[in-house]
Amino acid sequence: MLLAYRCALASPRVTATAIEANEFPRLAEEMEVWAVPRIAVDGVPQWDGAVPETVFLQRILNPASG
Amino acid sequence: MSILRPDEESRVRELLDALERPVELLVAVGPQASPLGAQDLDFGAETVRVAEGLAALSGCVTVRVEHEPAGFPRFPAVSIRPEGEDVGVRYDGLPWGHELGSLIGGVLEAGKREPTLRPESREALAALDRDLALDVFVTPT
Repeated sequence: MLLAYRCALASPRVTATAIEANEFPRLAEEMEVWAVPRIAVDGVPQWDGAVPETVFLQRILNPASG
Repeated sequence: MSILRPDEESRVRELLDALERPVELLVAVGPQASPLGAQDLDFGAETVRVAEGLAALSGCVTVRVEHEPAGFPRFPAVSIRPEGEDVGVRYDGLPWGHELGSLIGGVLEAGKREPTLRPESREALAALDRDLALDVFVTPT
């Protein structure tokens, strides 16, 4: 979560929201959250789990189109 | 009642002592989803209690509560605002259990004057020519 927050703090172009999956089950289901953390970019689920900063940046800047 | 055990409270107080600038927690409350088995819990009131509990540990952290402010698709939510500015850092839901750490981490990051990413990461973000919305789904356990 902190990497996403750091990106938002570093760039006015980026927003980062942690979403408590149990509390918003409909959205979690739409985003196919089976494991956490699950990361979505621009509303498209991308991957599960923590990754190093370089990989995180690579993935958010070049997301799969879903 | 404190939101933390005494030993956790002193540790968090120490961490918050490192804040280099004020951080405002804007708690947005409104109609909330009712997860199965938790219909009796007022998530908004609990979120306010958590935010106020953190603010009680640092003179640099303040709390403001708004009812159904614009731009919040889900309630409750906490917007973490360095010097009161909305920079797009948010926690949607009640930050309890393990996830209290995410809120505290967000406050600590927002309280730093300089971003803590590597220079090459900052350069890559500076070159962004479009907006980017990151959602990270978490659970408290």
